[in-house]
Amino acid sequence: MRNNLPALRAERGMTQGALADALNVSRQTVNAIETGRYDPSLPLAFAIARLFDRRIEDIFVDKG
Amino acid sequence: MPRTAAPVKYAAHAYILELIVVQGLYVLAAASRHWLIAHADGWALAAGTVPAIPIWLTFAVLWRYYRRIDEFARLKFLQTLAISFGVGSCLLVTYSYLEDAGLPPLAITWAWPTLAVSWALTTAIMQIVQQSEK
Repeated sequence: MRNNLPALRAERGMTQGALADALNVSRQTVNAIETGRYDPSLPLAFAIARLFDRRIEDIFVDKG
Repeated sequence: MPRTAAPVKYAAHAYILELIVVQGLYVLAAASRHWLIAHADGWALAAGTVPAIPIWLTFAVLWRYYRRIDEFARLKFLQTLAISFGVGSCLLVTYSYLEDAGLPPLAITWAWPTLAVSWALTTAIMQIVQQSEK
């Protein structure tokens, strides 16, 4: 699964640490999601979508 | 996403501190167990279980840490625990067969240090692998 989290984060001038704090996860988790090493659970994906006021499918895209 | 009781970023510090204290207790209890059993009039069985108390406390520390961390950290934590305890169990079984071939028998108190060392090594290896993937 690909995602445009780095671009959304950059739009808001957020660091990975700030995003991690906002989501109550570790910075390593944000980094793993952004680099595609970890696909978040649905609840976390919804939390990310809520935070950026987007739909999940606008942020996370199927690789296929 | 379930909210954790403590901020995720402080979980590792609390975990390491609690783990050091409990492992220190284990070393003390394991080293003094023969003295405790010899001096526990009528309570030898209870005294014999003293080294097991820090082992149970270790489980409590692990559970507290697991409850504090986020989903990605939980995944890594469980993977590391599963691999290391699998390797540790294989080492212990292998040694028990080597005892049949003439190696000196080991006390059961070596079981926990064996698992703990394989756990620490697996954690270190997994960290290196994850760092290289970034």
